[in-house]
Amino acid sequence: MVGFVVRRVAALVAVLLAVTGLAFGAMNVLGDPLFNVVGFIASVDCDAVAAGEVDDISGQTAGGRGDCEVIAEARREHHLDRALPIRYGYWLGDIVRGDLGTSFKNEMPVREVIGEKLPKSVLLMVVAQVIAVGLAVPWAVAAAYRAHRPFDRASTVGTFGLVAIPSFALGVILFYLFVVRWQIFSSRYDDTDLWSRLRSMVLPGLTLGLPAAAVYMRLLRTDLLTTLQEDFVLMARAKGMSDQWVMFRHVLRPSLFSLVTVFGLSTAGMIGGSLVVEQIFSIPGLGRALVEAVIRDDFPIVLGGVVVVATGFVVVNFAVDLLYTLIDPRVRADG
Amino acid sequence: MSTASAAGPLLSVQDLGVTFGTADGPVRAVDGVSFDLTEGRTLGIVGESGSGKSVTAKALMNLLPSYAEVEGSITFGGRDLRALAAARERHFWGVELTMVFQDPMTSLNPVKRIGEQIAECLRVHLGRSRKVATAEALDLLERVGIPEPRKRLRQYPHELSGGLRQRVVIAMALACGPRLLIADEPTTALDVTVQKHILDLLDDLRRERAMSMILITHDLGVVKGRADDVMVMYGGRTMESAETPTLFGRMHHPYTRALLETIPRIDAPAHTRLVPIPGRPPSPAEVGRSCPFAARCRHRIDDCLDGVPPLVPVPVGAAGAEGAEDASHHSACIVSVGSDGRGDS
Repeated sequence: MVGFVVRRVAALVAVLLAVTGLAFGAMNVLGDPLFNVVGFIASVDCDAVAAGEVDDISGQTAGGRGDCEVIAEARREHHLDRALPIRYGYWLGDIVRGDLGTSFKNEMPVREVIGEKLPKSVLLMVVAQVIAVGLAVPWAVAAAYRAHRPFDRASTVGTFGLVAIPSFALGVILFYLFVVRWQIFSSRYDDTDLWSRLRSMVLPGLTLGLPAAAVYMRLLRTDLLTTLQEDFVLMARAKGMSDQWVMFRHVLRPSLFSLVTVFGLSTAGMIGGSLVVEQIFSIPGLGRALVEAVIRDDFPIVLGGVVVVATGFVVVNFAVDLLYTLIDPRVRADG
Repeated sequence: MSTASAAGPLLSVQDLGVTFGTADGPVRAVDGVSFDLTEGRTLGIVGESGSGKSVTAKALMNLLPSYAEVEGSITFGGRDLRALAAARERHFWGVELTMVFQDPMTSLNPVKRIGEQIAECLRVHLGRSRKVATAEALDLLERVGIPEPRKRLRQYPHELSGGLRQRVVIAMALACGPRLLIADEPTTALDVTVQKHILDLLDDLRRERAMSMILITHDLGVVKGRADDVMVMYGGRTMESAETPTLFGRMHHPYTRALLETIPRIDAPAHTRLVPIPGRPPSPAEVGRSCPFAARCRHRIDDCLDGVPPLVPVPVGAAGAEGAEDASHHSACIVSVGSDGRGDS
């Protein structure tokens, strides 16, 4: 068990290094960091200014400092005169000390930005997954119980429909029906208390959760049908257990593997937030913040988001691996 | 649980037929099988794979899939089993009538503790509390000869060997004190050394509980000395049935003899070749027009292909001789092979 945890932590570190390294490199190669910090004065040729050949373009920087002073300070602060790997090293050093940096754009600490956005995305994820699992399990059990009968066939069509419909379409349809037409929910994200936050998450949760429910349902139904062929199911029936008892007490648990695996993968995906859903329902979550930061080349925010999402991914999948051992004692023996 | 009708057999099967609807049309897996089983006796059902013996057992256990069509009547202790099944009677199967399956490696739920699986029956059918059911499960494990039963209660099936698992399965089947236990090839999947232990255990338990048993096997040697009656099945039909000593003493049907010749005998000279049965069993789709064994039979005559021979009493005397019939010995062969079991070939 100790070795298991150590291996997991090592995996987390490796994943974080790989993901942030890639993101750090990509952002610095694709955008000009100096430009992103100081703006248009980045194009001032300071060597020429120093030689007296040209004037500072504006000379109007706050505090009366020259453009080149500002540029030099920015270079120093962000280590821009150093090579890329060294800058990555500085960034890593800050991270280890718990400093995620500050936004280039509004000088807000990244930690604060994420602290504000992340809970909303996590809440959305939780609501969506509760809806997805809550629907998928009884649905799959009912379909597998009478496989290849009308209900099962109708379910197949229904799930394919739900998976095929893009989330922006489903979101807009739900928005139109429940907000515009029937006015059951408000169009604004209401952040006053937990209850109103939950209420605001119903429609976005459905938008994310329904397609996930369809995927879970297909996976679980297939696994249930496989388990139903097992001899121990026949044995349970021979012991006179009712169909419902056999399904819930004998068949369901050994059939959860695929569902749990995909659940873990999609949970991590949902932590990163869903831009489309957050956009439609105007939720100020992490997904929106990240996309905006990418567009504005706000490196520290993007990298901070990458760290959070990657950590979430590894941690959730660690939890999933622990779940396997709860589901099936045979996994424990191999662990 | 002693509600046995004063007279008459515990189990009576009359003209049982099972037809599976498949994509290639109906397949008749069991055809016109009848037998009686008196309380306390053991019936051996012998046949190759595909002979319909397991389907017969599943029909008794109400375990056939919904696309199987069952005909005929099955009465158990005076009760009509098919009516009980239709009424979804909950406390009959698993209580009065239980079954042990062929492969103990797969017939236990891999994610439930052994104690839980044995106690399940007691809790659901007899309403025992968890504590009482666990105590009874412990007794059962002890009775079926599992070492360290207290420790086993908390173990999972994968932690036990095949022989121990089959003992657990037997404990499970016995939990609610059944009047009839169906054992479907209970030792086929086990080591030869373990097979005898399991069969002896079943024998002991049957005697000690005055239970009836149906022992299904492909091995005539297994039923010899263990079953009171033997029924030989082939192609979904009964070929021959008799009390065990009668069957082994005066077997009438060529198939029964062919089956016996496939088994090594301890008293045969060394290096005696076993005689395999040529060909393969008919698929259930092929049966119905002639004697099902005709295609592989050394004694076949033209009449064998002309209709399915009925199961008729076998005359006590020598072949073809006039005389009394043995009411318990039936055979579905129209050819007189010779009552000493050595036909003219």
